[in-house]
Amino acid sequence: MNVIYKIVLAEDNSVLSLLLKFRLEKEGYKLLIAVDGKQAIELIEEYNPELILTDIMMPFVSGLEVISYVRNKLNLKTPIIVFSSAGQEEIVLKAFDLGATDFMSKPFSPHELVIRVKRLLK
Amino acid sequence: MNENLHILESLKHSSPIIQLIWGLSCLFFIIIAILTFYLKYLRNHLRVNEKIETKYQEIYESYLVTYLYAGNDEEAFSSEQQIIIEKLKKYAADPFKRKIIVSTLLKLRNEISGEMGESIDKLFIKLGLLRYSLAKLRSKKWDVIAIGIRELTQFKIKAVHKIIMNNINHPKREVRKEMQFYLVHLYAFEGLEFLNVLETPLSEWDQIQLLEVLQLNNNTQIADIKPWLKSSNDSVVIFALKIAKVYNQFEAKEVLIELLNHKCEDVRINAISALSHLNIIEAKNILKNNFNDRGHEEQIGFLKMMENVYEASDKTFLMEHINHKSTEIKLLVIEVLKNINFEEFALNEAELKKTLTA
Repeated sequence: MNVIYKIVLAEDNSVLSLLLKFRLEKEGYKLLIAVDGKQAIELIEEYNPELILTDIMMPFVSGLEVISYVRNKLNLKTPIIVFSSAGQEEIVLKAFDLGATDFMSKPFSPHELVIRVKRLLK
Repeated sequence: MNENLHILESLKHSSPIIQLIWGLSCLFFIIIAILTFYLKYLRNHLRVNEKIETKYQEIYESYLVTYLYAGNDEEAFSSEQQIIIEKLKKYAADPFKRKIIVSTLLKLRNEISGEMGESIDKLFIKLGLLRYSLAKLRSKKWDVIAIGIRELTQFKIKAVHKIIMNNINHPKREVRKEMQFYLVHLYAFEGLEFLNVLETPLSEWDQIQLLEVLQLNNNTQIADIKPWLKSSNDSVVIFALKIAKVYNQFEAKEVLIELLNHKCEDVRINAISALSHLNIIEAKNILKNNFNDRGHEEQIGFLKMMENVYEASDKTFLMEHINHKSTEIKLLVIEVLKNINFEEFALNEAELKKTLTA
């Protein structure tokens, strides 16, 4: 029986979320979309996903806070891929310190993201 | 009723100032009432517009994502893509909807790269939106021109650089900045050719941003910076000096040394900083010989340079300035002396402390 992996995507850009949902669902994953960090935490607690994709800059709760919550409060080892923008190198380092698994710098190629997701969920 | 008449009657018989105050009060009341209703109408109108905008944005986002995944390798545009293009073209005829389409395309274009990013650029042209962006460049309003250039930059429209170059010395800084970003984003170092004809100053902030864009570009072919180092525009010279530093331009050594005698102090300070970064020892001797003729900032810059290129033979020169009137210079001299000979510095430091506490 094929296992359907759940992925939580925390991203405030609606069209990017839609594009990634379309792409990753085509690959057989179940996408749970959060528009901010607060919603992402709720989804993570409810569904316990196999992978988390999070943008760093988000309203209410940032990507860094999401990573910290997952690692320190929920004590989960779920792989986390962080999306960063140019000039956020320092924040990416902080994300790694908090327990991020991988990062992708925006603008990124959705194909490359799929490759990384597959590698992490192998 | 009678009471109202009585009020009007008493107003009629009151002094003209009272009448004027009453008149003005009524007028202001009417104006406030009209403005309140207008604001309410405006707020409702904006809310309705926002709702319509969100609705169309959702439609266009869905079209865009479908378009991006509907492509195939055999045709430039698949039949499904053609249908979406036709639908979006109809929407784009309306300025309000066109604005939403452009913002939707940009929203995704700024986040993704690779084939999909290029596909969005192609869609922008196919929808005829390029025509509207180019029309913005002919506008009399500077902000419209700046938006037009920005759109062309974000959709990477290279073919129009000659039209964009017309704004090289535009009176508005914002337009010039967008033009410069366009050239550097799309052409990297080649795009910096605008520096050859730039007459207006390039602000410190613009310089930092241009350097950042250059560093994001993977093109490692660096242009010859010598003509810019000789520019009559001081800000261009300072920017070229920053490039010399970031990209280690040893080839420009002679011109950099010549800049030590430039008429502008800022240029001289930046030249010292670049020479220091490149560890060009020839500059040290020139600066040592005319140290006293230079300004305070230049002297500080030179001593900072000496921290990297000092030699034992510099000791005499440094000792001459150990009692300089500027504390900052004195400290820098001691710092270099410390590096030359730590033990000797310790003695000097003890003596200096004595003189300072005396």
